[in-house]
Amino acid sequence: MEILVCVKQVPDDSVEIKFNEKTGTPVLDGVTPIVNAFDGYALEMATRYKEANGGTITALSIGTEKATDALKNCLAVGADKAFLVSDESFNDSDTLATSYILSKAIAKIEETTGTKFDIIFCGLEATDYSSRQVGAQLAQLLEIGQVTAVLAVDPENKGISVKQETEEGYRMIEASVPCVLTITKPDYDPRYPTMRNKMAARKVDVPVFTAADLGTDASKVGANGSFVKVVRNFAPAKKEAGVKIQEESGEECAAKAVTMMAEAKVI
Amino acid sequence: MSNYNKVTPEIVEKLMAIAPNRVFVDVDINKDYTHDEMPEYGSYLPEAVVEVTSAEEISAIMKLCNDMNIPVIPRGAGTGLAGASVAKFGGVIISTIKMNKILGYDLENFTVTVQPGVLLNDLAEDCVKRDLLYPPDPGEKFATIGGNVSTNAGGMRAVKYGVTRDYVRAMKVVLPTGEMTSFGSNVAKNSSGYSLINLMVGSEGTLGFITELTLKLIPLPKENISLIVPFEDLDACIEAVPKFFMNKLAPVALEFMDKDIVRMSEKFLEKKDIFPCTDEAGAYLLVTFDGNSLEELEKMTEVASEMLFEAGAIDVFVADTPELKKNTWAARGSFLEAILADTPSLDECDVVVPRNKIASYLKFVNSLEEKYGIRIRSFGHAGDGNLHIYACKDELTDEEWEKKNSAVMDEMYSKAAEIGGQVSGEHGVGHAKMIYLQRSIGDTNIALMEGIKKAFDPNLILNPGKVCDKL
Repeated sequence: MEILVCVKQVPDDSVEIKFNEKTGTPVLDGVTPIVNAFDGYALEMATRYKEANGGTITALSIGTEKATDALKNCLAVGADKAFLVSDESFNDSDTLATSYILSKAIAKIEETTGTKFDIIFCGLEATDYSSRQVGAQLAQLLEIGQVTAVLAVDPENKGISVKQETEEGYRMIEASVPCVLTITKPDYDPRYPTMRNKMAARKVDVPVFTAADLGTDASKVGANGSFVKVVRNFAPAKKEAGVKIQEESGEECAAKAVTMMAEAKVI
Repeated sequence: MSNYNKVTPEIVEKLMAIAPNRVFVDVDINKDYTHDEMPEYGSYLPEAVVEVTSAEEISAIMKLCNDMNIPVIPRGAGTGLAGASVAKFGGVIISTIKMNKILGYDLENFTVTVQPGVLLNDLAEDCVKRDLLYPPDPGEKFATIGGNVSTNAGGMRAVKYGVTRDYVRAMKVVLPTGEMTSFGSNVAKNSSGYSLINLMVGSEGTLGFITELTLKLIPLPKENISLIVPFEDLDACIEAVPKFFMNKLAPVALEFMDKDIVRMSEKFLEKKDIFPCTDEAGAYLLVTFDGNSLEELEKMTEVASEMLFEAGAIDVFVADTPELKKNTWAARGSFLEAILADTPSLDECDVVVPRNKIASYLKFVNSLEEKYGIRIRSFGHAGDGNLHIYACKDELTDEEWEKKNSAVMDEMYSKAAEIGGQVSGEHGVGHAKMIYLQRSIGDTNIALMEGIKKAFDPNLILNPGKVCDKL
């Protein structure tokens, strides 16, 4: 199988991000850029699939030159090839414009390398804006099927069998390829890169495609091509810290909680 | 044997006048105060617990107790591992838990001044927010700084940055007589007589009561990378340790762990493959480098990696993203809890041995497992030779356990002394390890320690029955 994994570089979400009220933007100075966690799960799942069933993994990212680091990290943990798409005109793209750029990039990579992707892995969402739209929109633009919230994937006949997480539990789906999968957190973590793979990845020159290379329509990318207009960014109101009840036993905790609620006259 | 006076209702009244609403007696004393994190070393009920808020209160209580011949036991968060903060002979526990303010930073001298009850975790986080690092990094993050200073706690960064002692610039102290004094000052050099401050560091609350500390800080290194290095067995793993230093590499942390500990941690965390290569590896090294540029670190880790392969590493894995680093250190941080969760009772040995003797010492320790039929688990700071060795009670009867454990501990401490090691690397002596200290350093040195104790505490009321005070 030819596998593509779409990767977004996002700010480290394990640290508290401050918000600049004046400019209406998050303060990202000093925050480490990382591979979006769900894209990391997608790459790990793709790599496990490749190890079990063979194939090739290509990683693709849209971003500035800095996103090359994210792609090199991917090359160290399973990706065989990587491509970066970078053009100033792509700045401020909404999810649809992003999906459009990805679809054009996929066509370009397929043309350049002479391959055709069977499975396109996307993270369920990016941890910065959490829209959950890119995978679905990309499938629509490529006119192929999609399964969202995927926990596992295996080969099945000529296609794949997919375990999807639902609100009630799980659903097993058989899908033909090519298709898009959006990956949620499986019960394993992304692997550690080996030093040798890291060193090899550091030496790789990641090819960069511009808008001109992709032949994107300027009216469909960047702010011009975006239907979503950001009116205002603001930080959510801070919740007050809760009260921690720590007693010797569960019964004592419950008794204390009831007393406190009674004192607060809520019961 | 001791002949201290009891805490009478009149004394309690006086204590209450000194610290209104913060004196606890009888059933109001939280059971936690009867032991530290090693209840195995006995349970001792204090006659009173006072949660103080100032040096003046401590001074008044000390004076009162000194006059009345009542023991006083300083206590922080009670996370000690040698029984140093328990009321072995009754008396009054003075808890610093409410003296938990960070009093201020002196950025011109790179120091911070804190009350003794500040938790290590709070200080570490506060420093990081200011791009500063308080380098000592003991595993127990919810210990107090006062406790850390009192045990001269070390931790994982000691191999590069040294131990708590290296970061204590000045302290305010209440002496057992109630007199208030200060030791050291905010200077980088000091050649002015006996170093009283260094006598206080590591004295486990037996010489004076620390009421304020000025601690040295360093600029926060901007980047760090950890390596996880599996080896076929513990010997190969430990033998690689001196090679870091021979190759002029200065890791900030250099920890070893055998596969059994990793498996226990997986079970405890309910997580598979916390470290890579679990099927092949017999032991792991966990190495961290820090620095100010990623390029510098990448070069350092490449040199380390080459050396590690030559030393027989199965592979070298890199934790260089926030998530991987978090996973790695969460696994390392769970070892003690994983061991505790796996056995009904245990005893621990915190010896420190010369770095080039770790491998042979551990081989000796592991031979005791078979000799005595007792399960032994170990991990520790390979970089500085400080080992944490745990004898597990498992299914043994109390009688069997006492006999076997005592024999195992005797052998481990004797062997450590024989190869030039010390009884405790960072946990201290408390009352639980006194016999081993005595055997290790001998009568002459114990007599010197006793003399120092008497110079500070003529009536022996401060934390009696600890370190060298054989009551």
